[in-house]
Amino acid sequence: MIVPCSGIGKTYGTVSREAAFEVIEDLRPGSTQLVALSLLVLGDEEARAAVGTSPTVTIDGCKLGCAEKMVRESGGGIYRSFAVLDTYRRHRDLKPDGIAELNEGGLQLAHALADEVVATVDDLLAGDEAVPHA
Amino acid sequence: MPELPNRKVGIVACSGEELAEGTVTRLAALRVLHDMRPSETVTICLPLFLAGGEGDRAFARFYPTIAVDGCEKRCAARATEQFSGKPAAGVVVSDLVREHGLGQPEGARRLNASGQQAVVVTAERVAGLVDELLGAKWDRRTGSLVKSEVTPELEPATPSDDPPQAGCACGSAIPVQKVDVDGRTVSLVALPLIFERFHQAGKAPGADVADELLGMVKVYNDVPAGADEAYLAALAHEYAAFCGEQEAPR
Amino acid sequence: MPSYLETTVDKFIFRVATDRHYSPEGVWALAEGDRIRIGLTDFLQQLNGDVAFAEVKPEGTLLGPGDEVALIETIKTNVGVPSPVGGTVAEVNPAMELSPEAINQDPYGEGWLALIDAPDWTTDRDALLDPEAYFELMTSQAEEESKKL
Repeated sequence: MIVPCSGIGKTYGTVSREAAFEVIEDLRPGSTQLVALSLLVLGDEEARAAVGTSPTVTIDGCKLGCAEKMVRESGGGIYRSFAVLDTYRRHRDLKPDGIAELNEGGLQLAHALADEVVATVDDLLAGDEAVPHA
Repeated sequence: MPELPNRKVGIVACSGEELAEGTVTRLAALRVLHDMRPSETVTICLPLFLAGGEGDRAFARFYPTIAVDGCEKRCAARATEQFSGKPAAGVVVSDLVREHGLGQPEGARRLNASGQQAVVVTAERVAGLVDELLGAKWDRRTGSLVKSEVTPELEPATPSDDPPQAGCACGSAIPVQKVDVDGRTVSLVALPLIFERFHQAGKAPGADVADELLGMVKVYNDVPAGADEAYLAALAHEYAAFCGEQEAPR
Repeated sequence: MPSYLETTVDKFIFRVATDRHYSPEGVWALAEGDRIRIGLTDFLQQLNGDVAFAEVKPEGTLLGPGDEVALIETIKTNVGVPSPVGGTVAEVNPAMELSPEAINQDPYGEGWLALIDAPDWTTDRDALLDPEAYFELMTSQAEEESKKL
């Protein structure tokens, strides 16, 4: 399960959303599913069942960590948490801008983050016990 | 000179990723916030709101908020009601699509043409609601708009109804002052700042000034129709006391 | 734990700690014995956004009041931070290397930038604002910012 924050106040939120879409639509369409954070927090049974039974990866925009925090509080087991800000620190040349529409730097950053998420998804699918959990 | 808070409207969009309508809410909200009504609106970030963002929750408690939802699950509206108060207005994209006979929005990641049309229609609806809300009065206690032709009963506000001075439990620092209006205790938002502004402008207590004070108080508070005289008397009394305290030798 | 002066502009809450002094640029200075701890105010960190990188001048750097003591890169902008005091950088917050987001999360605590040996603290302090004066300045700056759209 992939849970992005999709925050609307900063460009990071849009990067989190774009990265999540890239994972579930392009990179690992058959083995990942997106869960809307607000449905989960508001008690949607399907959303809660999804994060309760499947390993979950959260993608937050910034270090406020809303998705990570709320998935934990909703009883979900987080396999790994990502923050766009951390990915940006590893790719300083990909400066994102824009909330409604990402600039080229933002799209590239989302792509880099999606690759990082996919590496974790592949570890999960391979059943690699050595991969550290968040 | 202290500044009074400008009256603004909060916009909270569901931004749901599972349906294209969620993306419509996001883009429509951003269009209103950044292009159509930038000085009248404030973003309420839903994930931050859910996670306990004190500023966002406090804002939605004191100012009218429009929930923009993609579907009938109405996450934005429900979250606002659960953590702050009932939204002043709500828009559901799927309803608007039906209403306007638009094609089905598709593409949560990249909207199709119907989705783009839905963004325009939704943004226009939300902008219209912003205009309505800024022209009407929002009753925080009942969670409803009070139009000028409605005459609600003058009800006493118990001390627990409203937060005390700056630094209330919700985290808001919006100043509130309790005054006696015709034997009843009423909490008036922004009154301390209003008094400060008037005093610093050199306005001495008097009937004309009381009229002006009432006009300013009505921007931030609901004053029931028919209660103007009682409020005028109360404000005149309180303002005179305030000025006396400011001018008393220290 | 210090107490705070607090104001709200729109949905933003800004706090000013009451136990330290402030430069008009929004840098705080807290005397701790012979040394002065410095950092960004809550207003400045909110204004500039999430900190991605914080480069603080290394230990041993000699500074005059107003000299750049750090360069903060956020998603929005690059901010040169002027030192509120003169002296020598005695210690740099190790969190600035890997977790500069501490500036956003706890600007008056864990988000400190540096400790400065400030031999002329008494003189430097006279040029700074007390909490109430900074609070007034900050409030007007915050209100001006909210009008810019």
